[in-house]
Amino acid sequence: MSLSIAARFARRELRGGLRGFRIFLACLALGVAAIAGVGSVRSAIQAGLSDQGAILLGGDAQAEFTYRFASEDERAWLESVSTAVSEVTDFRSMAVAEGETGAERGLTQVKSVDDAYPLLGEMVLDPPMPLSQALDGNDLPGAVMAPVLADRLGLSPGDSFALGTRSFTLSATIVTEPDDAGGGFGLGPRTMVRTSDLEGSGLLAPGSLFETEYRLLVPEGTDMDALRSRAEAQYEGSGMRWRDARNGAPGVARFVDQLANFLVLVGLSGLAVGGIGVSAAVRAYLARKTAVIATLRTLGASRRVIFLTYFLQIGALSLLGIAMGLVLGAAVPLVFAPMIAGALPIPVIFTLYPGPLAKAAIYGVLTALLFTLWPLARTEEVRAAALFRDALDSARGLPATRFVVATGLLVLLLVGVAMVFSGSPQITLWTAGGILGALIILAVAATGIRALAHRSVSAARGRPALRWALAAIGGPRETAASVVLSLGLGLSVLAAVGQIDGNLRSAIDRDLPEVAPSYFFVDIQPGQIDGYLERLENDPAVSRVDTAPMLRGVITRINGVNAQEVAGDHWVVRGDRGITYAATPDDRTIVTSGEWWPEDYDGPPQISFAREEAEEIGLKLGDEITFNVLGRDITATITSFRDVDFSTAGIGFVMTLNPTALQGAPHTFISTVYAEPEAEAQILRDLASAYPNITAIRVRDAIDRVAELLEGIGAAIRWGAAATLLTGFLVLIGAAAAGTGARTYEAAVLKTLGASRRRILQSFALRSALLGAGAGMVALVAGILGGWAVSTFIMETSFAIAWPSALGIIAGGVLATLLAGIAFAWGPLAARPAQVLRARE
Amino acid sequence: MPAPVIALKDVTLSLRGNAGMVEILHGISLEVGSGETLGLIGPSGSGKSSLLMVMGGLENATGGTVEVLGQDLTSMTEDQLARFRRDHMGVVFQSFNLIPTMTALENVATPLELAGHRDAFERARAELEAVGLGHRADHYPAQMSGGEQQRVALARASAPRPDVLLADEPTGNLDGRNGDAIMDMLFGLRDRHGATLVLVTHSNALAQRCDRVVRLTDGEVSGEVARAAE
Repeated sequence: MSLSIAARFARRELRGGLRGFRIFLACLALGVAAIAGVGSVRSAIQAGLSDQGAILLGGDAQAEFTYRFASEDERAWLESVSTAVSEVTDFRSMAVAEGETGAERGLTQVKSVDDAYPLLGEMVLDPPMPLSQALDGNDLPGAVMAPVLADRLGLSPGDSFALGTRSFTLSATIVTEPDDAGGGFGLGPRTMVRTSDLEGSGLLAPGSLFETEYRLLVPEGTDMDALRSRAEAQYEGSGMRWRDARNGAPGVARFVDQLANFLVLVGLSGLAVGGIGVSAAVRAYLARKTAVIATLRTLGASRRVIFLTYFLQIGALSLLGIAMGLVLGAAVPLVFAPMIAGALPIPVIFTLYPGPLAKAAIYGVLTALLFTLWPLARTEEVRAAALFRDALDSARGLPATRFVVATGLLVLLLVGVAMVFSGSPQITLWTAGGILGALIILAVAATGIRALAHRSVSAARGRPALRWALAAIGGPRETAASVVLSLGLGLSVLAAVGQIDGNLRSAIDRDLPEVAPSYFFVDIQPGQIDGYLERLENDPAVSRVDTAPMLRGVITRINGVNAQEVAGDHWVVRGDRGITYAATPDDRTIVTSGEWWPEDYDGPPQISFAREEAEEIGLKLGDEITFNVLGRDITATITSFRDVDFSTAGIGFVMTLNPTALQGAPHTFISTVYAEPEAEAQILRDLASAYPNITAIRVRDAIDRVAELLEGIGAAIRWGAAATLLTGFLVLIGAAAAGTGARTYEAAVLKTLGASRRRILQSFALRSALLGAGAGMVALVAGILGGWAVSTFIMETSFAIAWPSALGIIAGGVLATLLAGIAFAWGPLAARPAQVLRARE
Repeated sequence: MPAPVIALKDVTLSLRGNAGMVEILHGISLEVGSGETLGLIGPSGSGKSSLLMVMGGLENATGGTVEVLGQDLTSMTEDQLARFRRDHMGVVFQSFNLIPTMTALENVATPLELAGHRDAFERARAELEAVGLGHRADHYPAQMSGGEQQRVALARASAPRPDVLLADEPTGNLDGRNGDAIMDMLFGLRDRHGATLVLVTHSNALAQRCDRVVRLTDGEVSGEVARAAE
């Protein structure tokens, strides 16, 4: 019965309209919209990848080999299960064009194809022509190239260039390559040639680093899971990797997923900020309702009826806010669909996706419950006597125990739901901890700011505007806490992002060039290594040369168990890995446990494994790793762990074996060269001329490419953080608006006592600026702490405060509160004192 | 002798203010008989309204006992007090305290709804008719004059047929003509339903209409006058 009466009363109370709830609705709507929007875009991308999976993959399924082509038998099996097969190889090389000022060289990712390519989708070239015609060429075999590479080499259609020892004619530039996105991150722009034209180029020699992919079209209705099982059984021990169109671009899918998960976590911080605004709005509303609640108590309403009445009313309004957020979150991606689709190099299908909307709604409901429960709990404390005096005044401790418990459970539920939805439990926990930590710091800071302001009042005697401002901040109202919490949290998120971003850029721009090599040279044939070293060792501009033999293999089993079952999605077991061998550890190697094999060791294969990655996977000394190289399984025992620092961008291998383990396996050498910048170009020219099959990767260019990608990610995250800040600004406006009544009264009294409007405005402005500066400084500390934690524990780089970003945060905080404070000061300043004071009676 | 409807024994009331504890009532003992009209008078700050609130269980006495209809209000929880008021009391305030988002009819029906009466709205309409506002049933408080709002408050207080009616300066915010009309209605309702009426007032004219008048000064009973039997 309580519920039905409460529902009736709640309906009547809703007739009061939305006055006082605009900010409440906006905060909830914005938080939910951000999460719904990110989720909708992710679903749109996933749908596009799934729908176009076959085109991105280049077929219905793909069998991939590293270092080799399929044998005749292997090829025959593929043809027996398919209606068409296309063979594609993928490798890095140097394209060389003779120009007027000498040879121009450019790193390129070469794709060599057969006549069946592409099985699906369409190559679009400029000038328009069929791919087969472009690859036919005229006197020389034809090639097509990405426009950016053609520009860099100064090539136009009809010009010739070299790959390895073979010359080609550029027939056209590539406008669209249907399976481009399925290949993932590449360091060089694309060049495409016919595989048969690479004969004699020295580029696909045994031991060279290339991948061969066999794309298949299968009959309609083929059971892909069954086909996968058959393929894995057929090719067991061959090192073959199978993929099908249901996951046509796994690298892209994984990237989009992780970025979206992270953005949702940023969105959750926006909801937390919004929650503060929601809580403040509900508190203000219920404070206005004290007389009504006390009257209902007088008339015989129980505490339960009162609580339920306002719970239902606030609940209805929360659902309205959440609905508004869902509409916005669903609509904005649809409205901006053409722009988003144009900016992404992958297919996107924009429509309504219920899944992300449902998740956003769940987040919204839990957040609304969490932040409205305590203010609603206070309604139980309103006594009938409140009609006669402030019966709620002093002791405002915790609400009843059941509300404290319920709040704790809601926090756990919200974090638990976020952990499940995000798929990254650890990062979610860290984020939740960070938000909670920031809120605690901010709440303590708000109390501290008020106490400091209160103590400073006497020191401001003689400066009335400042004294009034300090008295207002330190006075018994809650506006200060709302401002510091909401704006502070938004600024904290932005500050943390700014510090992390700044330090990442520094690590790349500042630290890395000092330790990184000038060049990585790959595909050095064993017969070339001596001549290669001779050229470099006599060069005074070269400070260091490292070389290592390199093969690539796929880890298939750990202790006899499928590697993915043991290591899950760890990057070491994903795809193929570089493997090397060495008789002795070099002087930079630190063996942390176990023992390196003797120099002349000739026994069963042994591995020295990278310590950090071993810990992540859970490996220990004595474990057996089976990996496949060139179709042959090799099982080796881990006999030592060593520290490997990948952050130097130098040579580093997860697995090093004893030399005899890989005896006879065709392989090449890789090398890093540390040279003075002025000497780099000459070194490249000499080596590329002498050894056209060697590929040179200029590390600075690779770093720039990575930095470009990180900038894009950083921009997305900054937009997410900006949404959080916008919510904080809304809460700030809400707090400013809520204080208008009190400021009007204050202004009326001050005017009566003789204060000028200028002086009153100064006081209002000062209090806003001081609060904003306080929020900004606390946000800065929180942001620096967050940035330090991420830099130290996740990025494992050194940390330095990024001052431009830091000072910008404080300035932003001051400006935001100042603007809000001044915007809401005109009304109070304009009110006539007599009217205000008479109305008060 | 029939038991008193309201019996206060050594009632004290202390409240915590910003400057510390403030003693409002000092050991008041008082009885009100069934059907009696008691007027509470005294200067501002003498504790009249506080005494009324203690009688109604709206304020918890710090010491002493408060018995209404034989039940000890000082041993009741807040919810028990709310239920007791719902079932036995009607309260009329100086500032009306109508719920602004409810119509006149809904305001009057509220205590009846809380008591679970199925015919709450029918009874409420009859009460509004009795105070001459049947035609304003669907109007909100903001659409009514002060006198009309107080009439709605009267109807709300009397609709549950309370045993005790408490009125705190019911004419305090009204002009003379409206105030007289309200008092006529209040006493009329008391006469019709036989409720015991306790009334706080500054008005001598109103006090003279009461069966008995108790004067309070500084939280203590400083005088008592019974109206001579007619």
